Amino acid sequence: MKHTLRFYFSIIFLLISFVFQAQEAEVKDSIPVKKERYGIRVGIDLFKLTRSFYEKDYRGLELVGDYRLTRRHYIAAEIGNENKTVDDDRLNFTTKGTYLKIGFDYNTYENWLDMENQIYVGLRYGVSSFSQTLNTYKIYNTNNHFEEVIDVNPNEQFKGLTAQWLEVVAGMKAEIFNNFYAGFSFRLNYMLSQKQPTNFENLYIPGFHRTYDGKFGVGFNYTISYFIPLYKATVKAKEKTKKQ
Amino acid sequence: MKKILLLILITFSLSSCEKDDICIDDTTPALVIEFFDIINPLTPKNVTNLAVTIDGESQVYETFSEKNKITLPLRMSETSTKYILKLNSTDAINTNTDIITVNYQTRNVYVSRACGYKTVFDLDSANGFVVTDNTPIDNNWIQQSITLTPSIENDNETHIKILF
Repeated sequence: MKHTLRFYFSIIFLLISFVFQAQEAEVKDSIPVKKERYGIRVGIDLFKLTRSFYEKDYRGLELVGDYRLTRRHYIAAEIGNENKTVDDDRLNFTTKGTYLKIGFDYNTYENWLDMENQIYVGLRYGVSSFSQTLNTYKIYNTNNHFEEVIDVNPNEQFKGLTAQWLEVVAGMKAEIFNNFYAGFSFRLNYMLSQKQPTNFENLYIPGFHRTYDGKFGVGFNYTISYFIPLYKATVKAKEKTKKQ
Repeated sequence: MKKILLLILITFSLSSCEKDDICIDDTTPALVIEFFDIINPLTPKNVTNLAVTIDGESQVYETFSEKNKITLPLRMSETSTKYILKLNSTDAINTNTDIITVNYQTRNVYVSRACGYKTVFDLDSANGFVVTDNTPIDNNWIQQSITLTPSIENDNETHIKILF
């Protein structure tokens, strides 16, 4: 099982590297002098924010940011807090906690003129610190001869739980008006390690989201962000010749 | 661009094939009793028309025949379950009734998202399994009982061995 997961993960990494290569090969740039802006972008995840309004068992906030390091590489991070109550058939529990994801984005999109849009892939390392409260649970019994329905209300809190994971990110950002960007991204999460509560399981982890039997999770965000330009740099001739 | 779409597609196809909505794991176990011959304690012995009634119930729970292994439910909300075992229940002359009492503590153990929790039974060390005679006294048909597994956590194994 462990090897199968490793295999999947390698395939995904391989795919990403193809994306990188393919983009570099296709691009042609004919503008002689090109200056590009570098700076910091900060924003908020609207998906989590709006969910907090329409879903009564959910409260979440995520702030996003990136810093343009090179022409194509961005250092990127997300910090967030989630409070979610899950009401399953057999279990009801509340997860509360904070998470931080840090990594990079690689822009594969070649902009025309002075456009600054992004179609990117990236990687994140995520950590989360959280607590689980087991509100109620039912006992599962296949032989219900005694017709006992046992509902337990332990209201037990498990504190000091942690998780670490990797995220593969794919998304896009587009400038909608002056320095304001709208973007979305999909994430595939792979659990590295986690501290489980005794006699319970981390079924939801802030930042990682719902956990499954395997080590995978999925994520999505929809962001609005503001770009703070810091300096401008000329696109180096070396980079252009390499592309031709 | 097409390759990124492919990546997104992979993301979703991976997330859709998880089997965690149906409970397929072992849940609350029942008591498994296996019958053996008193003369040759390693030889399984079949019971004939063994009518089991659970104490407090008016109807027979089940009548076991030509079987050397039976499964009986345990009460989860109590710490004791009593069964009335009537051997050769259709034979007026050779019939014999014994009472077995199982004393235990319950424990709730987490199974999975789909199953939730199960109850497991830890037999009391002193009197986890007690055989008594019925009134009127007709002597015990159960000659010896051995507790194999004092912690009843699943019903794939035998918990009690009865020799007769």
